[in-house]
Amino acid sequence: MAVLLFLFLQAHAIYAAGPGDIRLDDKIESLKKAGVGPVIYPHAAHEKLYKCADCHPKIFKDKHGANDISMKRNMDGQFCGSPNCHNSPKAFPLYNCARCHTNVRAAR
Amino acid sequence: MTAPFKHRFYLKAFLLMFFAACLWYAADAISAEEKAPPAQQAPGKATPILDPGDPSSILYLDTSGKLAGTGDSTKPPSQYYKIGMGWHPQALTDTRLPRDKYGLIDWAKLVKSNMVKPRWSLDPNDEEMPPLDLDIIITAKSDFVNDVRYPHWIHTWWLKCEVCHPKIFVPAKGQNKMFMTEIAQGQWCGRCHGKVSFPLTDCNRCHTVPKGASK
Repeated sequence: MAVLLFLFLQAHAIYAAGPGDIRLDDKIESLKKAGVGPVIYPHAAHEKLYKCADCHPKIFKDKHGANDISMKRNMDGQFCGSPNCHNSPKAFPLYNCARCHTNVRAAR
Repeated sequence: MTAPFKHRFYLKAFLLMFFAACLWYAADAISAEEKAPPAQQAPGKATPILDPGDPSSILYLDTSGKLAGTGDSTKPPSQYYKIGMGWHPQALTDTRLPRDKYGLIDWAKLVKSNMVKPRWSLDPNDEEMPPLDLDIIITAKSDFVNDVRYPHWIHTWWLKCEVCHPKIFVPAKGQNKMFMTEIAQGQWCGRCHGKVSFPLTDCNRCHTVPKGASK
């Protein structure tokens, strides 16, 4: 019983803390060609501004690997580039590569 | 006691006159105030629609009411430069200038629809060159992003070849190793786009050709 209670509390604690930073690197080969590194998505920073239902499940399915995010799709108004997000004056624009991508190639 | 009494009389008379003058002045001021508002509201009711095709429109005037940009070209353009750098929201909202979906002025649409007809050159002896109708497909480095169709045509409306070639772009296909990260940092297209020409905000304005469609 005590173990169950402990597990329940543990699960609750994880839920309250959120999923933390999410590393997006399934298209690493393409990313390398474009001169950028994977995106480390800061979930906590977005939690401060939005409620879960603002993004889930309409814009992002809340499951690892279920969202086939690409820069093309962002440009077309999906995922990060949704019309009220990083494709609007409300948030920084998509061309600020270094705000999301790590290891951004520096200009020569 | 007589002298102070006389003084008091004069003082009273003076104060009375002073108050009368004050009242008269105040009444005048109030009536003037009552008359003034209709005079101010009358021109404000009709909101002027600024016609960008009209060269005498206030759009083209500087803060002193003169036509902007007609100063001595041999002197440094500091004054006009400062005016141009200013933000003129009133002028923006009153025009019918075409905007893109980000609310930015669509300058290309503006010239294509002949709303403004810029001169070819400030030098009247300069020979006009027709725009170069040549599209270049620039392959995007990423496997997922659309390729770019670069139109020489709209760029050569105002710019001479020497503006970009060979300093910014080597005039040979595939010889310019461009990266979007570098463009965002102000290299390549970013030398103008984001500074004097439309910013990089709308990716799909340039990334128009689907992967593989150009071959």
